Amino acid sequence: MARSAAAQGAAVWGLALALAWSLPGALWRPAPAPPFPLQALLPAGLALGALAVAAPLLAWLGGPDLATRRPLALLEAPPDLLWAGALLALWPAAWGPPGQGGWLAAFLAAALPGEVRWLSAALPGEVPFPAAWGARVVRRARRLALARLVSRWLAARLPVWLTASLVLERMLGVPGLGTDWMDRVAGRDRAGLATWVAALALLWLLSRPLESEAIP
Amino acid sequence: MRNRLAALTLVFLSALAPARAQMVEESLPRDPGPLDFIHGDSYEQWILQSLAGDALVGLDPGGRAVPRLATSWKIQKDGAITFGLRDDARFTDGSPVTAEDVLWTFAELRRDPKASPTKRTILEGAEARVLEGRVWIRSPKPPGRLLVELARVPVAQKDHPERGSGPFRFVKEPAAWTFLRREHFLKPRIDGIRFRLLPDPATVLQALQKGWLAIGAPPARPLTPPATHRVVVQPMNAQLVVWSRTGSGPLQLLERWRQDAFPPGLLGQNARPSRGLWPESLGFEPQAIENEEVGPPRPPAVLKLLYVSGEAFTENLLLALRERARRDGFDLQLIPLEQALLVDRLRRGDFDLACSVVVFEPHPWAVLEYLEPKGPMNVTGWRDPQFAALAAGLRDAGGAAWRELQNLWARHPAALPILDLQSVIWVDKRLDAGPGVLGLYLGTPGAAGWRWNR
Repeated sequence: MARSAAAQGAAVWGLALALAWSLPGALWRPAPAPPFPLQALLPAGLALGALAVAAPLLAWLGGPDLATRRPLALLEAPPDLLWAGALLALWPAAWGPPGQGGWLAAFLAAALPGEVRWLSAALPGEVPFPAAWGARVVRRARRLALARLVSRWLAARLPVWLTASLVLERMLGVPGLGTDWMDRVAGRDRAGLATWVAALALLWLLSRPLESEAIP
Repeated sequence: MRNRLAALTLVFLSALAPARAQMVEESLPRDPGPLDFIHGDSYEQWILQSLAGDALVGLDPGGRAVPRLATSWKIQKDGAITFGLRDDARFTDGSPVTAEDVLWTFAELRRDPKASPTKRTILEGAEARVLEGRVWIRSPKPPGRLLVELARVPVAQKDHPERGSGPFRFVKEPAAWTFLRREHFLKPRIDGIRFRLLPDPATVLQALQKGWLAIGAPPARPLTPPATHRVVVQPMNAQLVVWSRTGSGPLQLLERWRQDAFPPGLLGQNARPSRGLWPESLGFEPQAIENEEVGPPRPPAVLKLLYVSGEAFTENLLLALRERARRDGFDLQLIPLEQALLVDRLRRGDFDLACSVVVFEPHPWAVLEYLEPKGPMNVTGWRDPQFAALAAGLRDAGGAAWRELQNLWARHPAALPILDLQSVIWVDKRLDAGPGVLGLYLGTPGAAGWRWNR
């Protein structure tokens, strides 16, 4: 079972690597590959750190019931585009462009509800037990379950967060990792794209030991 | 007495305090990459280089060569040009710009295969040396062409491809490209310019309306600028061009349709139907296709047109063109492709009709890219036995030789412009900035000539 999953994963990443390397298309004039936006690593790290702390914390407070709450679903529904548009429209002109702070706010607003629901849905049921044993035990049970979940959750969602902030970056004028990914596609920087895919594949590889724990 | 003393102190302190720099806030649609006078090659990179660097000559708002690093030049009988350099030009580290830097820049561009393809094309076959204290350059190209093209080659300091001598000093900030005024012979009057990366047109509009940008291009649809901004229409030597690999017949149809296909409301200020075959903005008279041997196809017929997807303005205009074709009984099928995929199809010759925006250099020789055997716009393999002889006779802009060449092209053209494009931008009313043939930045004095009306 584990060997089959590993083979499937390796095949998928291998295919992604091959696609990145053989991306069709050409440019009118050859252009040098864009430099990697090193300055975006710290804001991205901050955003991911905030998400990695806030989502488990909210899931711990809300428990498995949070996954079925309608308000959370309503917050999860608007696309990134809407969050960024609303932020831009509501941001006072006198404050100047939203910049990294605005981007972080929009990122959390767009990503947090979905991640909280993801974690809450993965928590084990609490009725009749441990609910019958009291709130303290419930909190402890949630904490233990989340401790098991968090590392796997990070490994599963990190590639998405790293690359899916493109819309927010474009709208708020904050060049980051999502923009870098798309620039390399538009500029047909096949080596750069392959490096991205290889880095994400490495992340998957590092998360393999965690995965084996989940398989009986 | 105490009040008067306090007021005097305030006045004194305010005179001592440095005035807050008033930057011109601008946006870039794409990341230009690091400032690099050797390798950088994109429209955004041109803007960076024109602010932070100086070429031997500049182009004035009318497109004529004017002194920049060179105070004067002489065209010799053999076609070589000699330039006398000014002695007050300094790189950002304070060292003077010398003939050695000019030669190093040219040599590096020719030596490095990864150097800017545009600059390498400009310097193809050129020789450069120092002769009697002047920079001497000879090229297979006519001197009139070489002179205006050299305005596209800013000089970098020897062994420092990132260092120029322009009117602004470049500072890279985390999410911005900033240029600060420095001591320079063009005497820039604004404190600086800051570019933010705003790829999304709706965001640019939002930023303009909120007053976060002093200059910006609104989306291509009729919009009223905010009260703080005025509309400036920039001339662009740009056209939406259709190439045909199936002969000039389909182009004859398009020549007819372009006259009445586009509703004025759809065109707005951003475009107007093209006339003729080559850009009027480069001085060419409108010329009709004169192919008497091959007529246009007869309806009903299917025409397949590839175009670059994702640009709503162009897509709407092409839909209007499709409706016009339908009135004549033709089925014009529009096939959207991503930019790089379209270029790939053009290179491979895998198309019947394809259209793309072409931005010409601001001189008539730019159209030779359609006709030269290895010209980047000669995607159909166009050739004519008379071309070489006619091209050899093109010494200066304008004149009978150009008319003859256009007549030759008109007999069996491989491409036809359907729209002349121009750029509509909104500029802060307090900023005195006027465009030239190269837009706001790329001419001389360019941004160094702007000033704030305080």
